Amino acid sequence: MTRTIDLGLLFSTTGPYHLMGQASLAGALKAIAQVNADPSLGIAFRAVVRDPGGDIDAYAPLCEEILKTSGARHVIGCTTSWSRKEVIPSLERMGGVLWYPTPYEGFEASDRVVYAHACPNQHLLPLLDHCFSAHGKRVYLTGSNYIWGWEMNRIAREASGGVGGDVLGERYVPIGSTDISRLVDEIAALKPDFVLNQLIGPSQYAFLEAMAELRARDAEFAEGRCPILSCNMTEAELPVIGAAAEGVISAGPWFRGLTPALPGNEGREDFGSSFEAAAHASVMMLARLLANAPEAETLPLPDLLALPGADAVGISARTHHVTLPVAIAQVRDGAFVPLRTYAPIEGDPYLTRSQMPEVRPLIKVAT
Amino acid sequence: MRRRLSIPELGGARAAILHRPHATVTALTRQLEAVGLQVDCHWPELPASARAADYLFIDVDTAHDDQFPWDPGEAPLPTIALIGSEAPGRIEWLMTFGADAQILKPVGDNGVYSALLIARATFDARIGLAGEIDALRQRLGQRQTVVQAVALLAARGKSENEAYEQLRGMAMAWRISFEDAAARIVSSVGGPQDTQPPQGRKNV
Repeated sequence: MTRTIDLGLLFSTTGPYHLMGQASLAGALKAIAQVNADPSLGIAFRAVVRDPGGDIDAYAPLCEEILKTSGARHVIGCTTSWSRKEVIPSLERMGGVLWYPTPYEGFEASDRVVYAHACPNQHLLPLLDHCFSAHGKRVYLTGSNYIWGWEMNRIAREASGGVGGDVLGERYVPIGSTDISRLVDEIAALKPDFVLNQLIGPSQYAFLEAMAELRARDAEFAEGRCPILSCNMTEAELPVIGAAAEGVISAGPWFRGLTPALPGNEGREDFGSSFEAAAHASVMMLARLLANAPEAETLPLPDLLALPGADAVGISARTHHVTLPVAIAQVRDGAFVPLRTYAPIEGDPYLTRSQMPEVRPLIKVAT
Repeated sequence: MRRRLSIPELGGARAAILHRPHATVTALTRQLEAVGLQVDCHWPELPASARAADYLFIDVDTAHDDQFPWDPGEAPLPTIALIGSEAPGRIEWLMTFGADAQILKPVGDNGVYSALLIARATFDARIGLAGEIDALRQRLGQRQTVVQAVALLAARGKSENEAYEQLRGMAMAWRISFEDAAARIVSSVGGPQDTQPPQGRKNV
C-alpha cells in the first residue's frame, strides 16, 4: 500500500534570485510527479510549498511553519548559503532535515543537511585548474560582498599561490549594487588573464554588460581574451543576461546536452539547468531512502543514511555531501558548450582529501 | 595587523579526546570525521601515545592535572577545552592548564572546524613566542659575560667602543652569536691573542 509523505519545498520563486528558485522548485516538482507515478516505490509525496520571496528573515519562520503545520520532516530548499544557515537552528529545534540543492562554498557538514549540489572541489578547483593552463595565472578576483564571494576567492587565492600565480586584484560589490565602473576600470588597467566572478544577481548582470562594452572598445579584451569565470551560472540565468553572457566559462555538475545528468537523476535528462537537476535528484534520493522502509521518514538523517542499502544512493554518511560529475562549459551563441568533463568525485567540503577529479573525454554529448 | 590564516593539513590528522563516553564525544567525533580527521577516544587516562596526536580535546568539567603527562601550561600539542560548567574554579583550572581554543558544551552540529584552526594558530604562535622568549632570556643572562669580555679586550689598550666592535667582528668570523663569542673570550685563559679566528681573518 502506498503511504503519503509530506515534503516541504522552500524556494524563493519571487524576489531577486527567483530564476534559481524557480529552477529548483521545478526540479523538485518533477521528481514528486515521477515518484507519485511509480507504484513500485510504495510512497507518494505531498508537496508543502512556501516562498520566502528572497527575504532572508522569512526563511526560518517559513521552515518552522512547514515543520509545524504538516507532517513534513524533510524540506528541499534554499538557494543561498545565508538562508541555509538561517534555517539550520529551526531544523535542529524541530527535528527536520534540509536538502540543499545549489552550489555553495563548502566548510560545513551539518548533521541536519544533505548537500546535493557542488562544493569547491567539484566546481572551483577544477575550473581554476583548467583556466590556469588554458589562459594563464594572472588572476583578478571579484564577488558580491558576502560569504560566497569571500570564501570562494580565498580558496582561489590559495590555489593560485600553489601554482605560482599572481592575484592582481580583489574587489567586492554590495549585494544588489550595479555600480561596477571602478571594478571594470581596474580590470581594464590590470589586464588579467581571467576574472573569477562570484557576483550574484543584478551586480553580475551589470558587470557582464560592462565587460561586453569593454571588449567592444579595447582589443586587449577581444577575441576570447580575459574570460570571465563563474561557479554558479547555469542555463537558468542565460535568458536574462542575453548576449553579455557570451564567453563566460562556468563549472557545474551538469550542463544541458551532457549525458548522463546527475547520478541521482536515475537516467533522466530533461532539465533546464543543474539547479533543476539537483533538486530533482534530491527528491529522488530521498524517495529511494524512504521506499520500502516503513516509518523511515521520521528517522534523523544519520539513521536514515545508515539503513541497509542507503550507501547506494550516493550520499556520504560522513559529510552528507554527494558524489557528482564535473563539467566546465563556455557560453557560445546563447548555450553552454562543454570544454572539459571529469569523472564523478565525492564532495570534500573541508578540502582535506582533495585530489583533482579525473578528466574524462567529452563523450556522448548530444547536439 | 592583518593576520593571514594558514590552513593546517587536517586530512588524516589525529585528534585525541579525553572525555568519558558521552553524547559530547559522539557529536565531536562526527564533526571531526566529517572534516577528515582520525579520532581516538581516551578515558580516564591519557596514554603516552596521545602525545603523537595532532590535537587534544579535554573535558574541563572533570579534568585534573594528574591526567596529563606534562606540567600545566606545557601541552605539547594544540589543546581544545570543552567547557560545560562555568564555575570560576573550573575556569581557573583551565587558565592554569592552558588551552589554545574552546568549545562550549553541549557540542552540537558545528564549532569544531573553527576550534581546530584557532587552536593550531594559537599553539604555533605560543611555541614560537616561547622559543623567542627563551632566546631573549639567555641573551639577557649573558649580559655580564659581554661586559667582562669587552673589559678584557679594552684592557689591551682599546676604547670601549673599539673593543665592542672587535667582539662583534670575532662573533661574525666565528659564526657564533655575540654572547657566545663573549663567553669564549672570557673563558680563554690567555686572553684575546689566543683566540684569533681560525681563518686568520683580520678583525677591527
